[in-house]
Amino acid sequence: MSERDAMSETRDCGGDAAAYALGALEPAEAEAFRAHLGRCIVCRDELAAFQQVVDVLPMTAPQYSPSRRLRRRVLRTVRDEPRSAAAPARRQARRGGLSWGSFPRPAMALAVLLVLVVVGVGGAVLSSTGAGHTRVIQASVVGTAGSAQLRLRDGQAKLIVNHLPLPPAGHIYEVWLKRADAAPAPTSALFSVTSAGAADVDVPGNLSGVSQVLVTPEPAGGSRVPTHAPVIVAQLA
Amino acid sequence: MQHVHDGDARAFEVIFDRHGGAAFSLAYRMCGRRAMAEDVVQEAFLSLWRSGARYDRARGGVRSWVLSVVHNRAVDAFRREVVRDSRDVRDDSIAERMPASDRTDAEVERRQEAQQVRSVLDELPPDQRQVIELAYFGGFSHSQIAEMLKLPAGTVKGRMRLGLTKMRLALGDPSGLAL
Repeated sequence: MSERDAMSETRDCGGDAAAYALGALEPAEAEAFRAHLGRCIVCRDELAAFQQVVDVLPMTAPQYSPSRRLRRRVLRTVRDEPRSAAAPARRQARRGGLSWGSFPRPAMALAVLLVLVVVGVGGAVLSSTGAGHTRVIQASVVGTAGSAQLRLRDGQAKLIVNHLPLPPAGHIYEVWLKRADAAPAPTSALFSVTSAGAADVDVPGNLSGVSQVLVTPEPAGGSRVPTHAPVIVAQLA
Repeated sequence: MQHVHDGDARAFEVIFDRHGGAAFSLAYRMCGRRAMAEDVVQEAFLSLWRSGARYDRARGGVRSWVLSVVHNRAVDAFRREVVRDSRDVRDDSIAERMPASDRTDAEVERRQEAQQVRSVLDELPPDQRQVIELAYFGGFSHSQIAEMLKLPAGTVKGRMRLGLTKMRLALGDPSGLAL
């Protein structure tokens, strides 16, 4: 396969980048385009250029000041809902117990498929060094040509990704911790990737009892339950 | 932003005061209704607070990030509605005007740059501007737009591409604008 073929396959490169940047692709099309981005620098570059234009479209709206009532509402809720970055367990408890019943149905179906994928693919412990006891787990990356590793050392975890496509317009990648018999728990780790598809992400929270570290694309700001199938799965146990 | 990430409500208040106007303006532009726009803005800022306000600087400034959350929440709100007509998303009529005031040189500069972007958008051929506005401010997919306008899906995507390309050329490097 020539380099051009490898870059473009049978897709009209750039044809979907504008619609994707505007958030105007259907979900299945957006997923396919994200997979394509992992293989096509032409579309990655065009998307980056279009995204810069889309990011300034809000400036064209007539500008108003928010009402004092809105300001009071937002700030009162924030003051009534203290949050500490040092207490992720309390944050999760405040969200209430998560259960499989809290999954939206499409995500439930995808989650079932995910289980089958994970059982079939799994994760591999690549290395475990002596001093410092770094454990490196090769994660499964679904739907793209990217790669991801989870590095565990002294109770801390870092996710290292390469060649991962940009998240959909208006979305960001979110890291989840999954324990057996429990739905994935959200973390405060939200990230995007560089133009090369790279990111180093500190995974917060206590990994005790965690069987999987997952990454899904979520609306910017994160979600309480996954709204998309995982694109990265690191199997710890 | 680090203070917000660390749970500092006062830092979050600063973020809201700096970007709440732009957030509400976008939400109002999209929703067309003040109450709905306020709900969207509240939902967006609270999601930022609850997520720890962690964002990727490589994707732009804080305002760009805040507005992307607002945009996404507005689209989510549209999808929750049972029926939503293909309203004229350029409807500027409002019951109560609350114009933002020019308080600082930065805000004056921002207004001037906003006028520049608005002019570039207005100078697009109407068919290109229409599909961009329906997609971004209306939250419609290209296939919904194609159905509304009785056009082939490829035509809609093509107009989007041409329009954004023209805007990119006219604006130079939009990332330098004081968003």
